[in-house]
Amino acid sequence: MPIDTIFGTTVDLLAKSIDLRAKNHTMISANLANVETPNFTPTSLSFEDELKGALKEKKGAPSVTNPRHIPLKGHGATLQQVEGRVIETPSTTPGKDNNGVELEAEMGRMVENQLMYNASIQILGKKFEGLKTAIKGQ
Amino acid sequence: MDFFSSMQISSSALTAERTRMNLISSNLANANSTKTAEGGPYKRKDAVFSATQVAETFRSALDRMRRGAPQGVEVTQIVEDQNPPRLQYDPTHPDANAQGYVALPNVNVVEEMADMIAATRAYEANVTAVQAAKSMALKTLEIGSK
Repeated sequence: MPIDTIFGTTVDLLAKSIDLRAKNHTMISANLANVETPNFTPTSLSFEDELKGALKEKKGAPSVTNPRHIPLKGHGATLQQVEGRVIETPSTTPGKDNNGVELEAEMGRMVENQLMYNASIQILGKKFEGLKTAIKGQ
Repeated sequence: MDFFSSMQISSSALTAERTRMNLISSNLANANSTKTAEGGPYKRKDAVFSATQVAETFRSALDRMRRGAPQGVEVTQIVEDQNPPRLQYDPTHPDANAQGYVALPNVNVVEEMADMIAATRAYEANVTAVQAAKSMALKTLEIGSK
């Protein structure tokens, strides 16, 4: 039995989402750090669509069996290749100093990101726990 | 996983906000100082913030070149407010001019208090960001610990 089927896509997907959420936290920290820097435009990481796309590609599409394969055009990236896009999120009502950071929005985004991060970690932990139970046969 | 750079970014902001808080304290303390070492009344001081790259590893530098990386903040300059001093009629004051007016610092206490609240809130937000990074990093260490 190939080892891949034990872990399935769950572990890959969770690992990727943990990684991307960690990156997203760095971006949110940077926005918060620059909450009063003139002419600063906040950025955020957008990756949910890409992750979804990468999951869908699994079915029917020519799969990339070697990391050095170039994926066919029109097909989304594989899970490993998802890196997220850095998008600028300027405020709709920038103040006099042209700073685009909205403190409330950033704090909200930070809490959401943190919760989703913790959720991913927890699910990953449970997945391993389940595997352990299966191995022990208890 | 790159929580250390996010902590560095947040701490750069803490440093900057603290500098600003020091300037606000100085402004408030000297709201009535009519004499300074440079002569004339005290002039209000303000910090200029600008976005900056935090100290980085080769890998994060490469990542930044590829797709614009998050930035920290730093105080690049401390400027003196060039607004004219407040003139107050007080002929008995030793620093009064021939017309009996005293030049008082261009510090507006209400403005300073508002600035102080803004600095406090920004500081708190960044502390929260550090706490979040820390708890996320610790959470990661819990994987498979049961």
